[in-house]
Amino acid sequence: MSNVNNRANNSTKRYQNPELFEQLAIEYAAGSMQGRAKKRFETLMETHFYLRAVVDAYENKFATLVELLPDAKPSNQVWAGIESHIKASAPQEKKTSWWKTSFFKQGFGLAAMAIVVSAVLLLNPMTVTPTSYAAILESDSNVAMAMTKIKKSDMTLTVDIMKKVNVPDNMELTLWCHPKDGGIPMKMGTISESGKTNIKISKKEWQNMKDVGFLAISIEHINDNKIVKPSGKILLHGQLTTASLN
Amino acid sequence: MEDIYAELLQKTATGDQLAFKKLYEETSPKLMSLCLRLMRTEALAEDVLQEGFIKVWEKADTFTPGKGRALTWMSTVIRNKGLDKLRSLKTKAAETEIQYEGLEFASADLQPDNMEDLSQDVKGLMACLDTLKPDQKECILLSYYYGHTHQELANKMGRPLGTIKAWIRRGLEDIRPCLT
Repeated sequence: MSNVNNRANNSTKRYQNPELFEQLAIEYAAGSMQGRAKKRFETLMETHFYLRAVVDAYENKFATLVELLPDAKPSNQVWAGIESHIKASAPQEKKTSWWKTSFFKQGFGLAAMAIVVSAVLLLNPMTVTPTSYAAILESDSNVAMAMTKIKKSDMTLTVDIMKKVNVPDNMELTLWCHPKDGGIPMKMGTISESGKTNIKISKKEWQNMKDVGFLAISIEHINDNKIVKPSGKILLHGQLTTASLN
Repeated sequence: MEDIYAELLQKTATGDQLAFKKLYEETSPKLMSLCLRLMRTEALAEDVLQEGFIKVWEKADTFTPGKGRALTWMSTVIRNKGLDKLRSLKTKAAETEIQYEGLEFASADLQPDNMEDLSQDVKGLMACLDTLKPDQKECILLSYYYGHTHQELANKMGRPLGTIKAWIRRGLEDIRPCLT
């Protein structure tokens, strides 16, 4: 049993070598990875978000190759099939259905729902100055992964990562607050790969929160203090909303 | 170059069926072409295109405009659908329709008129691929467009399997710095 665990740990560690997983990611995206290696890699991608993000980036690069292809018109039956499917599945349960994700199945959703409900019941954004903000951060596949709360009462920003995010040895997670109207984001600090991280915020940062549109967590090289905007992949992101929190 | 399909895809994400139909009309010829090369029979290609577009409809809200172009996002969704189908069928060699072969469309002799319609992204990718030896570039493109296995590429190019594997691995290793 311990041999099996050791093998699994060694395998996971191998994929934390950036050189190795960059090469595997590009091979996967280009379509040259095959057989069992491909299956193993797909399994790893489900748990290693950075791997998924790197693959996505390379897939985006290679997918531009579609532009070079000559046009080939499909028969009318294809659209007929698509149309009948979408009509049959109407009314659309559109969309951004984060409340249906595994986040809720895991039981984390109750806290999030409490925040949303209390925000709706207790806060009228037209008349009341917000005393707190909240955001649910999702992965690219729309799985809610973390909860963020920002409270004026103790001038603290808390990020609670519900499912561990695997990060390579020489990298770390960084939280950013992006302004609604674009522009340079506020860098809030380094976030732990799992569990809670508390960050003290200044008065100025609190005042700026009213202009923040969304939060993002990117993966960055350790001690790269000079960066003023995300330079690595964005792993999680979510809309910031006013809330009423205790 | 502006992403002309991003707005249609974002409207699709809100359940706008008219926008989705327009998106289909505009993009399906290119995506059908991709499916034909991957699946190699018209019937299978149309199956994959249909299933792929249904997935695009269902997942349109996961498209993030800042992270890539709408057409490339859709082609990744549909290509992955095709690869899943190929994996489940395991019969593609027997069903090959040979008219969907070759890489003339991706040749280096693209006419200036054709080049105008291409995004900077694909021009950049082709510039990276052009730094490789012609055989390496051909292997990578055949692997992408046709989903050929290493063994199929070895047979097609009359080279040992090990050579093909090494060409692809080193080729991708060499273009990595150019892509990032």
